[in-house]
Amino acid sequence: MELEVKREKLLLRAGTQKFEWHIEPRYWRMPAIWIGLLIVLPIFIYIVYPQLLPTIIDANLLAAIAIPLGWMTIGTGRMNFGPQFYIGAGGYAAALASIHLGWGPAPTLLVALVAGLFFGLLMSPLSIIAGGLYYTLLTLLFPLVFLEVTFIYTDIFKGDVGLFGVLPLISVGNFTLNQFLICMLALFIMLIYLLIVDKLLRSKFAPQMSAINDDEEVAEAMGVNVKKVKIISFTIPAVMMAVLGWFYAHYYGTFAGITYLPLSFMLKILMVSMIGGRVQIYGNVIGGYFIAFLELVLIMLLGDYSPVVFPIILLILLLTLPEGLFGLYRKRRYREYLPTLHVRR
Amino acid sequence: MSEILRVNNVSKHFGGLMAVSDVSLSINEGETVGLMGPNGAGKTTLVNMITGKYDVDAGDVQFMGHDITKVPTYQRCHLGITRTYQIPRPFPELTAIGSVAVSALHGKKRQNQSFEDALTDATHYLEFCGLFSKRNVLGKDLTLYELRSLELARALATTPKLLFVDEVMAGLNPGEAMKAVRLIERAKEEFGVTILWIEHVMAVLMKAAQRVVVLHYGKKIAEGLPQDIANDPFVIECYLGSCHA
Repeated sequence: MELEVKREKLLLRAGTQKFEWHIEPRYWRMPAIWIGLLIVLPIFIYIVYPQLLPTIIDANLLAAIAIPLGWMTIGTGRMNFGPQFYIGAGGYAAALASIHLGWGPAPTLLVALVAGLFFGLLMSPLSIIAGGLYYTLLTLLFPLVFLEVTFIYTDIFKGDVGLFGVLPLISVGNFTLNQFLICMLALFIMLIYLLIVDKLLRSKFAPQMSAINDDEEVAEAMGVNVKKVKIISFTIPAVMMAVLGWFYAHYYGTFAGITYLPLSFMLKILMVSMIGGRVQIYGNVIGGYFIAFLELVLIMLLGDYSPVVFPIILLILLLTLPEGLFGLYRKRRYREYLPTLHVRR
Repeated sequence: MSEILRVNNVSKHFGGLMAVSDVSLSINEGETVGLMGPNGAGKTTLVNMITGKYDVDAGDVQFMGHDITKVPTYQRCHLGITRTYQIPRPFPELTAIGSVAVSALHGKKRQNQSFEDALTDATHYLEFCGLFSKRNVLGKDLTLYELRSLELARALATTPKLLFVDEVMAGLNPGEAMKAVRLIERAKEEFGVTILWIEHVMAVLMKAAQRVVVLHYGKKIAEGLPQDIANDPFVIECYLGSCHA
């Protein structure tokens, strides 16, 4: 038996038989391969080294936050610096419902969805009214204001201790198996988000978003209902992020605003977007895994110094890879009619 | 010929500056009307009011008998009003075909139109404007003449009834300018659009327009046949100076 890599083919000779597979890069783009790898990875880790499962969960959740953020950014043509606000809204809504009403994850998911929808709709006119730095600063401000509110109303939100006693997301008795199932659920949510946004970017909704991203005024003159597109592109991603707040609350059994609402968490999400590939949706997956594992490695190697070194490494990466990690693979393809990010306002 | 657009006594001011003052005009279906005037006369402001970019301070705009004064810009586009820009404003990160597809998708309401249908439509308009070979080039990488052609393709893809052409000759060399003029004339013939043509170059309007409206300091100072306008001493005086309407 002989295995040989010849040009763009993988040759396998077994006796008189010859098998060959094309390994052209265009075949590598097949989503099934990557989805398969993402599914196999947690199974492999569960068998070999289950201590890594929380990192995989983190990676999937970071990617799942960054994917709707990418949609929000492209659709509104503005950079939102406060995605964690909706995580906080969904998380607190789910945690409060679970603690005070004794509701399990299924009904609290509905509560988180409603909270996300409410705050998404409430905040969405901001993408029409405000632009540029004002929008960015306002979105940056909201999570911080929310954090202050959680400190002021400690009787409701329990301040920096947070709400605890939230019913678990999955409970099968075995801790490792629990972690594995949660990991698969996180992966499932991330893949669903990826599928939704991918379908959207291949639909006729995409050119509208591209046009808005490029020039709102001209887009409107060409018949695009800019306000409608912006409201949709703001509200639905906000709901998607609120669902992740629900996940965090039930996964940890506790929810504290101090963990998710400060700038440090926002920075991590933005880094996922930027390192992954400037809000490229597939780049977000790479970015999520990269950031989660980088953080883990740094904590293992540097311990207390990791919070200092982590942003420095990310900053260097941002400077050296302006198109992100995904940009290493994705050459500019003119024939690709998908919208890409270039927010300049 | 039925009347397609009627503008009744519209005015617009920016702070203390009266950009357009009490201007009325009407355009008949199939007509090419020239709109001229010195720099700052209020030509583009008038077009911005008709297309909906600016709200009208006074007066009203009627399109095919319907009052569209308060209708949003995108709905005016659906009704059949579109424009090109004086300084080309392409979608810089979209390919030429992508830019035109946006217009084809959203210009006029079409039943069950997919993105692929829009791309097919866009190909047709790009071919018409001589940009087929540039279909996969990004907007930011096109030359000025190509941008002007792209603007026209984008406007035509919305299937307009009334097209505003804003200073198409600006920045083009004589050869390109003549090509651009021929392209607009051909567009009028093939797609049956009515045109309001803003232009500084009198020679172009003399050839292309059936009627010319002249603005000066935001006021309409003359309207008539191109030959009459060209010989109007008041218009000549305004262009050469020493005229205050």
